[in-house]
Amino acid sequence: MADFTATVYQNEFLPDGGTDVHAIVTIDCSGAGTAGQTGSGAAGEIIIIDTSGSMGQSAMAAAKEAAQAALAEIVDGTYFAVISGNGAAFLAYPLVQSGPAMVPMDDGTRREAAEAISRLRSGGGTEISTWLDMAGVLFTSVPEVVQRHAILLTDGENNEPGPVLDEAIARATGFYQCDCRGVGVDWKVEEIRRIAQALLGTVDIIPSPEQMAAEFEAMMRQSMSRGVASANLRVWTPQGAQILFVRQVSPTVEDLTNRRTVVNDLTGDYPTGAWSDESRDYHVAVRLAAKAVGQEQLAARVQLAIGDEVKTQGLVKAKWSDDSEQTTRIDPQVAHYTGQTELAQAIQEGLAAKAAGNEELATTKLGRAVQLAKETGNEEATSKLRKVVDVEDEDAGTVRLKKTVEKADEMALDTASTKTTRVRKQ
Amino acid sequence: MTEAPATPPPTQKCPHCGALLDPGDAFCEACGQPVGDPAAAAVPAALDTEKNPLDDVSPISAVTVGPGGRTAETAPAERAPCLECGGVVGEDGYCTQCGTKAPSPRDHFEEKPADWVAGVCDRGIRHARNEDAMALLADGERAVLVVCDGVSNSDDSDIASLAAAKAALEVLRPPLPKGLGVPESVAAAVGKLFTDAAAAANQAVLDTAPDDVRNPPSCTFVAAIADGSVVHYAGIGDSRVYLLPDAGNGRMLTIDDSMAQVLIAGGTPRAEAEASKQAHSITKWLGRDSPDITPRVGKVDVTGPGWLLACSDGLWNYASEPAALAAQIAAAGSTDPHAIATHLVAFANAAGGQDNITATLARVGGAAQPVEGLVTGASAPSSTNGATDVGKNAAPTTGETDG
Repeated sequence: MADFTATVYQNEFLPDGGTDVHAIVTIDCSGAGTAGQTGSGAAGEIIIIDTSGSMGQSAMAAAKEAAQAALAEIVDGTYFAVISGNGAAFLAYPLVQSGPAMVPMDDGTRREAAEAISRLRSGGGTEISTWLDMAGVLFTSVPEVVQRHAILLTDGENNEPGPVLDEAIARATGFYQCDCRGVGVDWKVEEIRRIAQALLGTVDIIPSPEQMAAEFEAMMRQSMSRGVASANLRVWTPQGAQILFVRQVSPTVEDLTNRRTVVNDLTGDYPTGAWSDESRDYHVAVRLAAKAVGQEQLAARVQLAIGDEVKTQGLVKAKWSDDSEQTTRIDPQVAHYTGQTELAQAIQEGLAAKAAGNEELATTKLGRAVQLAKETGNEEATSKLRKVVDVEDEDAGTVRLKKTVEKADEMALDTASTKTTRVRKQ
Repeated sequence: MTEAPATPPPTQKCPHCGALLDPGDAFCEACGQPVGDPAAAAVPAALDTEKNPLDDVSPISAVTVGPGGRTAETAPAERAPCLECGGVVGEDGYCTQCGTKAPSPRDHFEEKPADWVAGVCDRGIRHARNEDAMALLADGERAVLVVCDGVSNSDDSDIASLAAAKAALEVLRPPLPKGLGVPESVAAAVGKLFTDAAAAANQAVLDTAPDDVRNPPSCTFVAAIADGSVVHYAGIGDSRVYLLPDAGNGRMLTIDDSMAQVLIAGGTPRAEAEASKQAHSITKWLGRDSPDITPRVGKVDVTGPGWLLACSDGLWNYASEPAALAAQIAAAGSTDPHAIATHLVAFANAAGGQDNITATLARVGGAAQPVEGLVTGASAPSSTNGATDVGKNAAPTTGETDG
């Protein structure tokens, strides 16, 4: 059985009249096991491949190879299916007309699926909402599957009006998880990130087709290592308190604030999806009514819950003090992740401004990003930023936009903007 | 079916240091660690009985099982409700409703040895721990109130003060000598008893710390014995005993051993003296470096119904004058000493809670059982109408005697 532990990093001391409590809660999971093998229900995997007309010959060949590499990583016994998508979604495997539309993996089904994938041809448009909806239908057809995960590959911009895709995302949200990858530079990071964030998955660029197989293999291996099908971050706050925000801040920044589902008057659940043996950090900020100096109270109970079973709990506290040495100290973890969150925002806003032709704003935002990346020791962000801007003064955050930028570099900076680094813990 | 099973067997040992415990002890006398929730011990037996699995078996087999067996079957100790909002306190020690930290058993404890005797001892707001302590007993017509206030700039004063209060109570537990005839001989016997109690308390303080500790623990000491229509009292330091009759003026019985008292003795008005910088420096205390552990003792006759109050400076800081304390007792709107003590502590906390707060009360003056309506919030005599019958309530014959 998986073990969870929670560790809280915070400065619990508030000055007289202070109201806002910030804490980083690290949740560690160990002994997660393998997806679908822990006795709590079966796992299901769906591979969604873009077969629109824009997929050229080499991209199509690489996509097939990647899908087959992913098949090899799916553990025997796992239910699976393959969808090919263009202007509509098609069930590429298994070839059934009705009933359960996913089959358990074994040597035979793996071979059949590989053959089906090899027969795929490209053509048509890109209407991703139909792909997402079909994945939902397939998962629904096999009720014993309780852990649902999809991999989505696309190479182009969605041809549907925004609301159509958003409605499909909403239908899938909370039902299955989806990791998304874009190949080439003709897809929209913002669009695909919307899918991945809602469906608790990752988003990244695969700049060239030959990297695809390794990426798919890694993604599927990661998914199969998630022996905990689904868990929630459960946050209790005292009567009268206000949750300012709840964010995942490591390994990536994901704002969960608006994804709260009510448990009771004082408690809400925030989805965290499936867990492997891993560690994630959450930033919780709570506003309390100030109490007298010398008083102590609990600002939040931050728990990890599987169903209604609470696996671990961290306590976020508030103690009012008139000792300024205690109250002015900012916890290094809180400071670090506050900077990393701002970094992600600065990168995304800077790139959006650049795309909109607002060079002045783009320069300011990306300059700030360079500064924050250095301050928080995020070397990946630093190196990716340097492909987009010329840095004049890293500490001051003064930069110039490069005259010519590889589109792929800009997209890589965008997709990686939410990735965070950790600080050494005491 | 309703016999209380919660009293631990007399041979129970401290889980921290192994010392023998007295039944009902909330803290180990030897090491000062909490050994159980006093509130848990007070859980009515009926609560346990409802959950008792033995209820399902036939009465015939049930009779063979004594209360001892039931003790083992009882549910885990119930936590007292949140002092702030009345909500349920979670396993993590915080209220599940308002998040207030539930005080540790040492930070807040209550005693009600009889329905006319009770006390509340509380950490207050500003201090990190509760260095006040109290020990109470009620026996027939007799009540003993002991309050000790640990000196905050010495080590382990919280352990010392509790040990001192308990040790003193043990000395004062046996009934006072009766039938000795002349008042002088009674006074001498009582004086000796208080001196012994202070010595026992002092020894308990000494025993809590090794000889070479840098800041040896120390504490104040007051004890009051209500015995029928007589109150005996003794004090060292600045904890106090008041007699607050329902009608007429109340009196502060003890005299502080403090710089404030030195100023008062020199002519400074009390309010000014108690507000002075050095007011809380005490001139006598219990502990290794104490200059003098002989209490100042006294006796007063009770001539009408009222309250005997022993308290620490955490309370009287906010209501030093007897009239102010009487007003707070009236404001409690209750005849239950526990409710009044709770109100007095809440009053001091609301006023800032700058120090630990202890309030212990015994009903005196011929009404051992408080009569409903005897003291009510609205009609309680406030200190301002004390002009009536001063002579009847003023201190009678015996005054304070040193030694």
